[in-house]
Amino acid sequence: MPGLRHILLLTAAFVLLPCNARAERQVVLVTGDSCPVREVSSLDVRKAYLGVTVSVDGRRLRPIRLIGDEMLSSIFYQSVVHMSRKSYERRALSLALKYGTPRLEMVDSVDDAAQAVRGRECGVVYMWKDDVDRLSGIKTVRLLWQGE
Amino acid sequence: MIFHDKRCIPKSRGPGIICAALWLLTTTTASAESRQEMLFFTSVDTFDSFSESDPGVEDAFVRGTLDLLYSYSTDRFRFLAEYLLSSDEAELERLKAGWAWRDNAMLWFGRTHTTSKHWTSEYHHGQYLQTSITRPSLEEWEDESGPIPSHVTGLSLDVRHELADGASLNYVIGAGMAPSFGSEGLEAFDVLDPRSGNGLSVNFKLAYRPRAFEPLQFGVISAINEMDVESESSPALADLRQIDQFTIGVFVDWQWKKLRLISSFVHLDNDLEYVDETVNDSFDLGYVQLEYQPNDDITLFGRSDNGFGEDWSPYLRLLPAFISHRHMLGLRWDFADTHALTVEIADTAQQSDAGDHEYFKEWRLQWSAVF
Repeated sequence: MPGLRHILLLTAAFVLLPCNARAERQVVLVTGDSCPVREVSSLDVRKAYLGVTVSVDGRRLRPIRLIGDEMLSSIFYQSVVHMSRKSYERRALSLALKYGTPRLEMVDSVDDAAQAVRGRECGVVYMWKDDVDRLSGIKTVRLLWQGE
Repeated sequence: MIFHDKRCIPKSRGPGIICAALWLLTTTTASAESRQEMLFFTSVDTFDSFSESDPGVEDAFVRGTLDLLYSYSTDRFRFLAEYLLSSDEAELERLKAGWAWRDNAMLWFGRTHTTSKHWTSEYHHGQYLQTSITRPSLEEWEDESGPIPSHVTGLSLDVRHELADGASLNYVIGAGMAPSFGSEGLEAFDVLDPRSGNGLSVNFKLAYRPRAFEPLQFGVISAINEMDVESESSPALADLRQIDQFTIGVFVDWQWKKLRLISSFVHLDNDLEYVDETVNDSFDLGYVQLEYQPNDDITLFGRSDNGFGEDWSPYLRLLPAFISHRHMLGLRWDFADTHALTVEIADTAQQSDAGDHEYFKEWRLQWSAVF
């Protein structure tokens, strides 16, 4: 009964497709189109966000934090810097106290983040891949996280 | 830019040189991206004590403290100033400018905290960042009867090497003007009065981190301090001309799951140069602080500060308020992101100038925060 098989397959596709779309979220690191850097390693991303000076292809990365999205922030702590929120914030304070290292610039919204990286030489920020697709003047230089 | 402000025009030569240097450095680096940061570390402490040696003695205080930190950074230049204001004192603690000639190396010039004291070089005056209210006695500041200089004015070189296995090696070496020794103990070189006479201090720290970006570290610390004595400031110092101090020690800061160990032991060797003789005096000081953190907000901790062979030290008899033994327990509660309430109780022995110790018990309560 090919007709019934088609109906079952179509039903299954309708049920599963939206689930798959939800599951495939990605967090990426982006920079401005004008930055010549094409790829940044995971270790360099981590170092940059831990306050260490990182240069890629002779260009200094200038990390920016996007703090307006709670889930994105959780992914940042767990998958980018591999620290609890408290440990990370204490480390930033400690570097400021010991060496005068300024804490990273923070922005609240995706649009502000995109504007910030476009306006700074090799500024980098993490954001959802879905958001990158609708913004202009920025490019992805690292896939940071993928999951549900 | 604040350094262009006319208020920076100095009334005396010391600040003038600093302002001019900062103006020059900030303008010559104007093309690089610059950032400024201001932090306020603040705390209020209460303290109460009861003497066992003399039951009539009772002491107590309430003290508010504000530590103001300002930094200015470009890619290669950095400036840092730390000013402490409390109900007891107001003092410019650190004032230094640094130049990074490569990514992991910085040359600093100015008034800094010595690198030869681990706790001091980690927490400075940032009370909120240290778990306990009290500092280990080995790490006390000069004006709190600290036995080792805390402030040095000169140059320091800070270099970090990343090793192949993810570890890192950090060494800091500094040289500059040491504190002098007066009636109240060590007195740091006054950066605003550069003509005051002081001896040389050379200090060193080597730290190994098995995982470069985590707090775990251990290493070696050492210093040579020549401390000129202000003989006229006290009858006890009348015949004393200079104190040459050599220190060498180890430190560790280790975390294992919910436990943390922070400890340092230092050997001190002092030559007290009197008019007609030199008296050698050596002893060891150390502390072990253990912390247990059952969750993100609560920390139980205890520390033992001890001296070995220091009971009859002629050097420490010049520092009668020095705490030679303290056994302390405490509890800290972190709340609202950057606030903490801490309570400590301790059994304490003060050196005293009579050769025996003054025993007392104390309790402290503190609110600390950073903004």
